[in-house]
Amino acid sequence: MKKKWLGALAMAGALALSACAGGGASTNTAGGSDGEVVADAEGPKSLLIWVDAVREPACLAYTESVAGEVEVTCEVVGQEEILSKIQLANQTGQGWPDVTFDQPNNVAIYQDAANGYSLNLSNYVDQDIIDGYNTSNDWCLIDGSYYCLKNDLAQTVLWYDTVIFDELGLTVPSTMDEFAATALELEGTGYSAGAIGDQGFYAGYLWPSGCPMVNVLDPATVQINADSPNCSRVWELVQPLVDAGVLDTRSAFDAGFIADVAQQQKVAMHIGPSWWGEFVIRPPDSWAIPEGRMTAAPMPSWAGESTNWSGEWGGGIWVASAYSEFPQTAAEAVVFLATDPDMRADKVTFPGYQPAFEKWRERLGADSYYAADPTEAMVEQAGKIRQDNKPVRYDMQGQFGLLNGGINGGSSLEESVRAYIDALTNLAPAAGYTVTE
Amino acid sequence: MKSASKRNSQIHGILMFLPYFVLLAMWAIYPLALALYTSFQPSRTSPSWGFGNYLFALTDFRFLPAVLNVASFLLLYLPAMLLVVAGMSLLLDSIRARWTVPLRLLYLVPATITGSVAVLVWYFMLEPTFSPIKDALAQIGWTQGTDVFNKGNLVWIFALIAFSTGAGNWIVIQYGSLQSIPDDILEAATIDGANSWQMALRIKLPLIRKYLVYMMILTFAAGLQIFVEPYLLSSIPSAPGVANSWALNQLSYELAFRGTNLGAATALSFMLLLVCVGLAMWVIYRTDFFDEADIKKKKKVRG
Amino acid sequence: MTNVGHGRKRRFRNETPASGLKSLSAKTLQWIVLLGFAVFSVVPMTWMILAPSKTQPQLQQDAPLSFGTFEGYVTAWNNLALFQDARILQWFWNSVWYSALQVSVATVVALLAGYALAVTRMPLQKPLLIITLIAMIVPQVAFVLPIFIEVSQLGIYNTAWAIILPGTFYPFGVFLAYIYFSTTIPHELFDAARVDGSGEWGTLWRIGIPMAKGLIGMLAFFSFQANWVNFFLPYLVVNSGEVLTLPVGMGILFSQTPALNPGVGANALPIRGPEIALAGLIVTLPILIVFLLSSRVLVRGVLAGAVKN
Repeated sequence: MKKKWLGALAMAGALALSACAGGGASTNTAGGSDGEVVADAEGPKSLLIWVDAVREPACLAYTESVAGEVEVTCEVVGQEEILSKIQLANQTGQGWPDVTFDQPNNVAIYQDAANGYSLNLSNYVDQDIIDGYNTSNDWCLIDGSYYCLKNDLAQTVLWYDTVIFDELGLTVPSTMDEFAATALELEGTGYSAGAIGDQGFYAGYLWPSGCPMVNVLDPATVQINADSPNCSRVWELVQPLVDAGVLDTRSAFDAGFIADVAQQQKVAMHIGPSWWGEFVIRPPDSWAIPEGRMTAAPMPSWAGESTNWSGEWGGGIWVASAYSEFPQTAAEAVVFLATDPDMRADKVTFPGYQPAFEKWRERLGADSYYAADPTEAMVEQAGKIRQDNKPVRYDMQGQFGLLNGGINGGSSLEESVRAYIDALTNLAPAAGYTVTE
Repeated sequence: MKSASKRNSQIHGILMFLPYFVLLAMWAIYPLALALYTSFQPSRTSPSWGFGNYLFALTDFRFLPAVLNVASFLLLYLPAMLLVVAGMSLLLDSIRARWTVPLRLLYLVPATITGSVAVLVWYFMLEPTFSPIKDALAQIGWTQGTDVFNKGNLVWIFALIAFSTGAGNWIVIQYGSLQSIPDDILEAATIDGANSWQMALRIKLPLIRKYLVYMMILTFAAGLQIFVEPYLLSSIPSAPGVANSWALNQLSYELAFRGTNLGAATALSFMLLLVCVGLAMWVIYRTDFFDEADIKKKKKVRG
Repeated sequence: MTNVGHGRKRRFRNETPASGLKSLSAKTLQWIVLLGFAVFSVVPMTWMILAPSKTQPQLQQDAPLSFGTFEGYVTAWNNLALFQDARILQWFWNSVWYSALQVSVATVVALLAGYALAVTRMPLQKPLLIITLIAMIVPQVAFVLPIFIEVSQLGIYNTAWAIILPGTFYPFGVFLAYIYFSTTIPHELFDAARVDGSGEWGTLWRIGIPMAKGLIGMLAFFSFQANWVNFFLPYLVVNSGEVLTLPVGMGILFSQTPALNPGVGANALPIRGPEIALAGLIVTLPILIVFLLSSRVLVRGVLAGAVKN
């Protein structure tokens, strides 16, 4: 009897508790994710801001600027983990940061009703801030409203070493075919045309070529097609360069590449984003290229294209939480972090907000580090970011291991790209898309 | 035993057991029920109650590769463990006890380096720029980080990490089991003229067989659930993202927190759980490991 | 089983009549293997102990097992402390007090439960023992996802309790205690105590616990080891850096600092190889120390040793 009693008690307890199991997303009312404007809660304001290590100084600057009015906690979180942590918070109904920095694609995931994290900034941010971006914040425009502010634009440009070009008598390529030819001229000289074993390949080659990977046609349809000629022309052009040894299959951040190639000043040219100069080429712990050598040129154009498109590697976003107790303050924080001209002037990234950009350009212009002003090319390319890559509701960022890992490991470019695109094709339907070619 | 003291024993026994029982209910039974419940719930990819989530998890394009990954990992890891642990503990047992003490302490040292620290240390052990064995690596033609940390080598790397963490610990434990072999048996074998080789293989090994089996079961169950090492290795610059969704647990995590699909994630978790539970039941009912625990036989009459 | 003296056992185990004829090369081979494995065991830890004394360029250029300078450790520590205001100290403190709580609760609970199963007349002993055995074999990692859901249902998500409480569940401890109490302590002792009139609690207090010193040590040890290094569960159930433990913090340092991930912030933080090795040391040294202190308990042998006196 006692046995049965104990057993029944245990089962009853388990069942009772499981009946409370809600599973799925919480029922917290998300304040501003649709058209409403919610005022800040009463009482002293406090914000939790998630940043990656690079953005921590910006967060600390913000903390200082609102000292006394708002209590700010800056938490350093892994860039790759922010998405999963937000989902964790969604599951548990608590723990969201009021503001977070994030990788650009995730805005689509957050805007999705099943997630609902991102605050509709159109309701909270002044129109002149939006106008100050011109079209640079269009990435964040979903369904007619802005759900994030771009931290920076990471448009790809053609970085090159003027000294090496002079030495070898090279001219700066203006088409991709010329790029390939120039790269082949480097064969045997010991110089390199760059490393592609990282996201730079996606941003600098596949995206500008228009290879359909995340081409959102409408909220329920996405174009993904590995057989498109816009994809095959990339690997057809680049594979010979890899085979000739002028393009390195390692990541540009690989310790071996940095030590053996970059720090030896053997990188003749490299298609990289606008932050490449300040973040990679210049720092003594990184490539440490001496003064007066490097500058940036506009992107080479693909055959048959009327524009020399760019892709983006990065271009992170600031998102405010729709679940925040202080949405107004959160929005203000987002504005500061994304646009404050003084704070942004000494950062490595290219600001999308015009006034901040002016200050940034000023600083770079006065800087004698570059052989010529790289910002000209950057400004040109800022308006030429190819528009058929859009934020998508599936985790395209998390699949880069297939692309990069394949290239790193020696697989052909075609194999690696197809593997990546295959993964995207598999993920898209679960996020509510129909895949078309 | 008088019935009053029997009653006393019953009640107080229950009271003593109760705290553990509460924890058992909270952290094993309830999660099990919860996993089952959540796995049947409707989710984005399974609009109604039922097995939809299971189907989705099983047919996910990453599922089969993950199964193959974990399977090949186990195929490398388990036999290595068995051979090395059995061999080393027997070797230890054949030398003077006094000398085994420092050796055993040394063998235990790697057991302190687990999880995140293990990935850190082995990154530096294997990355050719930093490695103590960089010359040996260069001989095989591995001079770059990407030579070592690429998809093809992942299985070996994880097996190496798991092995280095676990082997020493188990060697010490199995050495202890060897001490439980009664002297009369060994004496008899000695008198019969067995040399140490035969002693080890024919006498000692069969006698600790069940402890070895137990070790294999635990190692298998833990290996099936591998997560930390592939997860952290994916953040290393030599091969970023190389081991995303490599292991089944990683896939579960991805489904839950990058794909917003808790239903499919718990379905996968539950399947892994079932395999472990099945294994446990097999060990309990079909092997003699827990005979000492007297659970299959009738309870001894006490008092 | 008879409790045979240690010394006498030794003689028979490795001095067979044939051992005198064991060739020199076989013995040498034996020792090479044993020592070789010892080297394999110790090299990674030695590397980690020596690494913080060097600088990052030295890590690359000097011999991997060379020593740098003592100042190296100080520099490495200062740099490490730059991460989120010496966050590593917070993680260390968290690990310490979470483990302390977990170990004390888990040990006491397991001791009581094992005793109850082995000695008292509690009902349902067999089924409960079987459940415990199953729970022992299934690793906690298997339950992490539903525990995550449960933790949020209980409202302790992102708090220390989300990490501490699941760590107090200790089926292996219960099993060890059960085996210990049911096989090492003669029933006559318990019966005598009962005849004396002391209840179960009295018997536990006066006989069970005094005879279980070794057991308590073992229970505490294994519980500590499992809880200190736990990664997956704390990683899921706690989101906020201040509440996390050392192993998870280690993972954050991994992906968030340039030590292994130059793409993160080449000019942001001076945390590189030496600093992260120092962090690794901070995670492993406590266990190493506990290992060394409990070496007596450990090398006696766990599985079979639990059975013998």
